[in-house]
Amino acid sequence: MEGVGMETTVRTDPGLDERVAFLKKQAQQVRLHIVKMIHKAQSGHPGGSLSAADIMTALYFDILNVDPKNPRWPDRDRFVLSKGHACPVWYVCLALKGFFPVEELDTLRQFESRLQGHPVSTKTPGVDATTGSLGIGFAQAIGMALEGKWLKKSYKVYALLGDGEMQEGVVWEAAASANKYKLDNLVAIIDNNNLQNDGYTDRIMPIEPLDKKFEAFGWTTRRIDGHNMEQVLSALREAKAHQGTPFCIIAQTVKGKGVSFMENVRGWHGKPPSDQELAQAIKEIEGGLK
Amino acid sequence: MIVGNMEKRGGTQMAELKEKVQLRKADSPTRKSFSERMVEYGEIDKEFVVFESDIGYSTYSYLFGDKYPDRYFNMGIAELGTMAAAAGMAADGRTVIVSGYGVFLTMRAVEVVRSFICYPHLNVKILSSHGGLTAAIDGVTHQATEDIAYMSTLPDMKVLAPCDTYAAKAAFDIAVQTPGPVFTRLMRDPLWDIYTEKDTFRLGGSKVLRRGEHITLVSYGDIVFQALEAADLLAKDGIEAEVIDMYSVKPFDGETLLDSARRTKAVLVAENHQKRNGLGYEIGTFLLKNYPWGKMGSKPLKFDHLGLEDTFGESGNYFKVIDKYGISGRAIAEAARRLLSSSDR
Repeated sequence: MEGVGMETTVRTDPGLDERVAFLKKQAQQVRLHIVKMIHKAQSGHPGGSLSAADIMTALYFDILNVDPKNPRWPDRDRFVLSKGHACPVWYVCLALKGFFPVEELDTLRQFESRLQGHPVSTKTPGVDATTGSLGIGFAQAIGMALEGKWLKKSYKVYALLGDGEMQEGVVWEAAASANKYKLDNLVAIIDNNNLQNDGYTDRIMPIEPLDKKFEAFGWTTRRIDGHNMEQVLSALREAKAHQGTPFCIIAQTVKGKGVSFMENVRGWHGKPPSDQELAQAIKEIEGGLK
Repeated sequence: MIVGNMEKRGGTQMAELKEKVQLRKADSPTRKSFSERMVEYGEIDKEFVVFESDIGYSTYSYLFGDKYPDRYFNMGIAELGTMAAAAGMAADGRTVIVSGYGVFLTMRAVEVVRSFICYPHLNVKILSSHGGLTAAIDGVTHQATEDIAYMSTLPDMKVLAPCDTYAAKAAFDIAVQTPGPVFTRLMRDPLWDIYTEKDTFRLGGSKVLRRGEHITLVSYGDIVFQALEAADLLAKDGIEAEVIDMYSVKPFDGETLLDSARRTKAVLVAENHQKRNGLGYEIGTFLLKNYPWGKMGSKPLKFDHLGLEDTFGESGNYFKVIDKYGISGRAIAEAARRLLSSSDR
């Protein structure tokens, strides 16, 4: 297993710069919706949603082969949000992609809304698996990838995990089985923001070095800057084309990325912004849009 | 569908049902019968798959793996990950059988069963061996004496507990033909057979195995045989016990139960499970609500419930252990006599 540090694959794609520029802008749109919807609901998880915004934007607007008009299309790429509490970022991507109206984002966590506090497959179009209990989404992704292999389908299964989530034992049961079945149709992306509910991940329960751990489990790994869109896109495209082993992208991220007062602050794991904080957040994100 | 074919036999057959039920030594435990049917069914339905967590040679799921290696996934000693992977495989509607020991599948993995199988209404069917004290010899860590409580409590979950070879094979068919999650409790060791290939079973059904006027004995799984033995013992004292095999634990056949209770005015539930939150609790609540109290003449309904009394089991010979914990034929007969001789007030 090669699994090298900060290396990224250099690609000679003439459209890449344009693509990256578009995705960067789109990611800021995603961030804008995230803070607005969590403010509206006065409940939800902004920190882990914002840290995953660039990765999720690249997935939904470049990588995933999905059809909003036919959410359960059998040949679609699967996506599992194993860190289910970050569903605001997912709901935004699904809405912007056309799975449901963008206005519906205002119903997050409200009575009888399709946008539940954690993702529910039977309620929200585009949600392939119910998640919210950490570690379990990743293990479900194993089953989806096994089905794809068994049926000789060409789709890939992408799972986004948090770094704190790696503390769950079931993650390693799943990692081992991906190796056994040579699930090269499986891509795990770790949103490695080093912050969990109670504090810094490396103090609560250290889980690094993640690359060495996954390599020992037979995976190919890449460590990237999860906010550098060029690196995010390159790594995801490499993962999409990769064959022979399951693929793990360890994305170095900042929890709350894009809103200065939320960045790397423990308290913003699961707290909504006030009116004043929202105004400040919008100002900063819109600044980034220009 | 035929509900407990005894009803179908009608009046002339009633006498027959008062006679001793013939027990035939079973060739295989229900865990094996279920797996054998799974192999047969694998030929009929090529779409379902089986997940195992390294006890395939115990649950006999290996029989399926030998025949259909590409549809058999041995996920290692990892019940939680296995259950979750099964949910992933079932996400788009596929039927997935998960095979294992009751304690691990229903307790270690219960949250996955709840939130990621029952909640999304997935077609995951749990083949659960070593139900109750049928794993007596293995000791408490391997005795699933709370499985019915855990599984019955989960919304959307259906629960089956067949007692013999034929009921176990039928349970497989019911499980795969019923939409959504189904849990089937199976036994470690072979006991007896009472049914034949002609017997039919259904979700929510039961079987009246013996007719009697004085008391209704309700049980499921291995304790059905003990209830039959109790009925034999009681007959010697002139007490005629009606014996119901409540093989469908959730939903259970309230209609047949109520019909019987109206006639006998005494119900005794015996189960190889904790009393608390077992079938007896369900039946007790059901009768409180549905029994025509005060409308049936002077006699009120008498009720009792046998099972583990807020205690764990232990290692040892199955028959000795179930007797010690009060669910053997002898213990059931004794409890029945006690119940019938107790004063109405």
